[in-house]
Amino acid sequence: MFAYNLRLAWKSLLRNPVLSTLIVGGIALGVAISTAFITVYHVFSRDPIPGKSDVLFYVQMDNWDPTAPPHPHESGIPPQISYRDMRELMRSKIPVRQSPNFLASLYVFPRDAKARPSQEPIRMVFSDFFPMFDVPFRYGAGWGRAADAGPEPVVVISSELNERLFGGRDSVGETIRIDRREFRVTGVMAPWRPSIRIYDMNGDVFGEPESVFMPFNWIEPMEIRTAGNRDNWQSFDGDPTYLEILRRSEGCFLQMWVELPDEASRQAYARFLDAYTTEQRKEGRFQRPLDNRITSVRNLIQDWEVVPPQSKAIAAISILFLIVAALNLVGLFLGKFLARAPQVGVRRALGATRGSIFLQHLIECELVGLIGGAIGLLLSFGVLAFFNTVFRRMSQSEDFFHLDLTMVLAAVFLSLVAGAIAGIYPAWRICSVPPARYLRNQ
Amino acid sequence: MLKMEGLTKIYRTGLVETRALRDFTMEVEQGEFVTITGPSGSGKTTFLNVAGLLDAFEQGRYFLDGLDVSRLTDSQMSRIRNEKIGFIFQSFNLIPDLDVFDNIDVPLRYRKVSAAERKERIERAAAQVGLSSRLRHLPSQLSGGQQQRVSIARVLAGDPKLILADEPTGNLDSTMAREIMDILEDINARGTTLIMVTHNPEHAARAHRQLHIADGRMVDLERISPFPLNRAAQAMSVAN
Amino acid sequence: MPFGPIFRAMTRNRSRFLLIVAEVALTLAIVANCVSLIRESQASLKVESGFDDENLLWVGSRPFAEAFREDAYLHHAIDSDLVTLRTLPGVRAASNTSFIPWIGGGSSTEVRLGGNRYRTQIYGVDPAVFDTLGVTVIQGRNFTPAELEAGTGSDPDKVISPVVISEALAKLLYPNGGALGKIIQDPSGTDSFDVIGVFDRFYNPYGWPIGEYAVFLPRRSGGFSNFGFLVRTQPGQKDALMPEIEKALLASNDGRNVRVRAIQDIRREYDSRDRAVVMALNAVMILLVFVTALGIVGITSFSVAERQKQIGTRRALGATQGDILRHFLLENWMVTSIGAVLGTGLAYAINVGLVTLVQQAKLEAWVLAAGVGLLWVVGLGAALGPALRAARVAPAIATRSV
Repeated sequence: MFAYNLRLAWKSLLRNPVLSTLIVGGIALGVAISTAFITVYHVFSRDPIPGKSDVLFYVQMDNWDPTAPPHPHESGIPPQISYRDMRELMRSKIPVRQSPNFLASLYVFPRDAKARPSQEPIRMVFSDFFPMFDVPFRYGAGWGRAADAGPEPVVVISSELNERLFGGRDSVGETIRIDRREFRVTGVMAPWRPSIRIYDMNGDVFGEPESVFMPFNWIEPMEIRTAGNRDNWQSFDGDPTYLEILRRSEGCFLQMWVELPDEASRQAYARFLDAYTTEQRKEGRFQRPLDNRITSVRNLIQDWEVVPPQSKAIAAISILFLIVAALNLVGLFLGKFLARAPQVGVRRALGATRGSIFLQHLIECELVGLIGGAIGLLLSFGVLAFFNTVFRRMSQSEDFFHLDLTMVLAAVFLSLVAGAIAGIYPAWRICSVPPARYLRNQ
Repeated sequence: MLKMEGLTKIYRTGLVETRALRDFTMEVEQGEFVTITGPSGSGKTTFLNVAGLLDAFEQGRYFLDGLDVSRLTDSQMSRIRNEKIGFIFQSFNLIPDLDVFDNIDVPLRYRKVSAAERKERIERAAAQVGLSSRLRHLPSQLSGGQQQRVSIARVLAGDPKLILADEPTGNLDSTMAREIMDILEDINARGTTLIMVTHNPEHAARAHRQLHIADGRMVDLERISPFPLNRAAQAMSVAN
Repeated sequence: MPFGPIFRAMTRNRSRFLLIVAEVALTLAIVANCVSLIRESQASLKVESGFDDENLLWVGSRPFAEAFREDAYLHHAIDSDLVTLRTLPGVRAASNTSFIPWIGGGSSTEVRLGGNRYRTQIYGVDPAVFDTLGVTVIQGRNFTPAELEAGTGSDPDKVISPVVISEALAKLLYPNGGALGKIIQDPSGTDSFDVIGVFDRFYNPYGWPIGEYAVFLPRRSGGFSNFGFLVRTQPGQKDALMPEIEKALLASNDGRNVRVRAIQDIRREYDSRDRAVVMALNAVMILLVFVTALGIVGITSFSVAERQKQIGTRRALGATQGDILRHFLLENWMVTSIGAVLGTGLAYAINVGLVTLVQQAKLEAWVLAAGVGLLWVVGLGAALGPALRAARVAPAIATRSV
C-alpha cells in the first residue's frame, strides 16, 4: 500500500510540473535556510570538549586596582591571572591536572637556510595541558612532567607545521630552531580543530590552535612576552628588568586551568584559593572584596557570551522561516488536491476509505517535503560555504561551518515537519470530500 | 422590450464548431410572460446567456428596451444587467458565505444607492417573498424553496424591467415549485417582463406565450399547432 | 466599498483566510525582529574612524635578524624604512607608530586628574602621525623631532612627557576647555604628561568604552619582535603600492618579514561578525517576503478557483470586471491587515525573547509600521494576478449547472 501511495504521489507531482517546482522550491528554500542557520548555532554551541566541560575549571581572582572601579570585563574582575599568583597556585596538589597558558609569537627557523623563517603563534603550556584538553597526536606525545621544571628544550608541533618543516613525516626526535634555541619535537598533533578554542577564551575564540606548544617555564630564560591581552594597573619606579616585572607585577595575562573531577575537589580548591588570597591580603595585595572564581568550561562559554548571541536568534528566526514556507504551501496543496476532488470521489466510490485517501495525500506532501529537503540540504552546503568565506577571519578555516550527521538528520526531520505542516490540512480537506458530490455531471 | 434579429452564436471547442443559436429571431413585448421550452442541448441556456448579456454573439442584432446592445463594452453590459435585468437560476446562485440580507444586497452594491435606501429596498423585497424573519440566516440554513425566494427577493430589490428565469423550479418539489410560480406570476402581473426557460409543461402553460427552441432555432408552437396549446395544457393540468 | 459584507463573509469561511493571516502575522513578526537585529549590528558598521581609512595601509615589519636586538640598529632601521616609504611614488605620508586603526584593541592606561581616574588609549607616535591619519592638531602644536628623540631613549628620571590628546579626551578631562598646557598623571603618579596639543578626531574600537580617547606620546615604536608603520597613499594608489612597499622594504633590509595590509581590510575583518549577521538577516528577510508572496498567490488563486460560480453570479447581477478586481484586492487587504494586527502583537512577544539574547535589538514602532506598509504592498502585489484572473471569469458561468 505504501509503495502504491508513493507511486501515486510521484505521478501526481509529474502531472503539474510548474506547481510542483514551486512547492518543492519553497520547501527547499526553507530547509536550506533553517539547516544552515541551525548548523551555525550548532557549531557555535555544541559541547567543545565532551565529557570534560564539567571537570575543567577556569581560575579568576580579583587583584585589580583597589582604588579603581571594578574591572570592565564582563565578569567584573580581571579575566586572567598574574604570573606571581600562577606560581603559587601551581603548588596546589588538589587538581589532578593543571596548566596555565598564554599566547606568544616567535620565529621558527627552517633547516633549509634558503627558506625564510616564519613567525609562528606559540602556546606556552605545562605538560598536563595535552591530556586536559584531549589534544590528539599523530606521532609521539606531549612531553613528560619532568620536562616542565627544567625546562627541557622540547616542543609539540601542529600537523600543519610538520607538513611545512618536515614534509609530513614522523618528525619525533628531530630538532627545530625557535628564536635562538634548538628544540626537540616530542609530538606531532593530528589535525585538531576544536569548535571553540576553549583554552583561550580571551583571545580569538574561533581561531585555530597554535602551530607550536612549548614548555611554559621557557618564559623566564627566553624572556617571552605575551602576544595576547595583558591587563595591568601598576607601574614600577626605576628601570626594572623584564624578569623583575614578571615576578612582581599584578599584570594579568595568564589563563589558568585546573581539572577538578568531583565536588569535593572543587570545594577543596575553592577553599585553597580563598586561603591563598586571604594570606596575600595581609601583605597588602587583593585589597578589593574577596572574589575568587572557578568556572567550568560550560559555564564560561555562557557567562562570557563566547557564542554570538545573534546566532541563537537567527537560528530561531530561521525555524520560523521554515514554518512560514510550509504554511505557504498549504494553499498550493489545497488547490492541487481539491482540483482532483472528482477523481477522489471516484476512488471513494470504488471503496477507498477516508483514512487511505488521507494517507495517500499526506504521503504526497511528505514526498514533496523530502525532495525539497534534499535540495535544501544541497543548497545549505552553498550557504555554509558562503558563511565560511565571510567568517574566514573568525574561523581561519574553510570548513568551520560544516554539516555533520546530526545536522543532516535535523534537515531530514525539518523537511518531514515542513511536509506535515503543509500537508495535513489539505489532506484532511480532500479526504472529507463526500464521494457522491463529484460523481454527477462529469 | 426585447427584440432579436437573426442572432447566431457559435461555440468552439477545439476544432469542432457548435452553432448554439442559428439565425435566431424573436420579440417580446413589455409586460409579457413568455416561457421557452426545448430539449436539452437545443440552445435554451445559450439564448438565456445572450438575452441576459452574459455572453456575446457573432451575428445579428439585439435590442433591449429599445437600446441596441449588440456592440457594448463589458462595463456597459454589466450596468445593463444590473439595472434592467434580474436573473433567477435553477440552482439559486446565492453566495454561501453571505446571509439573506447581504445576498439580496449584492446587486444594489453595484449601483449608487444610499445605505438607507438599500436597507429599505432589501426589507421590502424580503417581505414580498415572505422572508422578513430570515434576514440573518445563511443560505445553507434555508430550504430550497426559501433559497429560491431569496433569489427572487434579490431580483425584486433591484427592480428590473426584465426577469430571466432559468428553470427556477428545476431543483424544487412540486409544492414549492408552485409557490415560486405564484410569486413570479404575481411579479409579472405588476408589469415586469418575464422570460422563463422550463421543462415543466404545466409551468410553461401559465405563460401568455410559449416558445419552443429546437436545434438553435425558434419554433412557434402556437402557430403550427391546430389547437391553442395554452388551453390544452390548462385542461390537462385540470385533469390531473 | 463593501467592507461589511466582505468581512462577514470572511468570518463564515475562515480557513482560507486564516492561512494568509497566519503567514502575514509570522512574516511581519519575523521581519520586524530581523530589522531590529540588523539595526543593532549596523550601528557599529556605520561608525567612522575619522581617519583617511580609504588610503591607509599598515606595514608590519617582523625582524628575525639578531642585529635588531640592538636599539641603535632598530632605530636606524625604523628611520631608514621611513625614508624608503616616503620616497616611494604614490605615498603621501608615513609614520612609525604602534597604533593600528580597526584592529579591535590596542594599548590603554589610566590618567589621574584631581581625585578622578580616566581610562584612555595610549600610543607611541612620531610627528608625521597626524598627517598620515588625516587628522588635524586643532589646539597647541605637533611634536618636534627633538621631542621624538628625547621620548625614544629610556629615561630613568621620568621627566614630564609632552603629549597630544584627542579632542574627546580633552573634553572629558576638561569639560570647560583649557586642556592645553595642563599636566596629567598616570595613577601611580610617576609619569606625567604635559598636554602640548589637541587633535580633532579619533576613533578606535576597544574592549572598553574608550574608543574616542587617545594620548599620543612621541617615541619610536617597536622592538625586536616587531615594528610597524602607517602609510597614507595618494587616492587610488593603495592597491598598486602594497607589493611595491613589501619589495622596497625587503630590498633595504632582508632580516625581517614584511606584511602590508589595507586598513579597510582590517576593518572588514573586525566587522566580519556584524557584516555576516546583517547579510544573513537580509537574506532571510528577502526570501521570507518572497515565500510569503508566493503563498498569497497560491492561496488567493485557490480561493478564486473555488469561487468561480460566485464570481459569475456577481457578474450576472451587474458587477463590472473592476468591481470583481476591487472585491478581491479589498478582501486581500483586509486579510493582510488582520494579519498585521496579530503580527504586531507577535512581533512584540518575540522581541521580548530576542532582547534577552541581544539587548540592543529593541523593536521600534516605526519598524513595525514600515513592515505593515511593506506587507500591504506585497500582499496586494501578490493578490493582483489571481484577482485579475477572477475579473476575467465569464458571467455565463452563472448559468452553468454545476
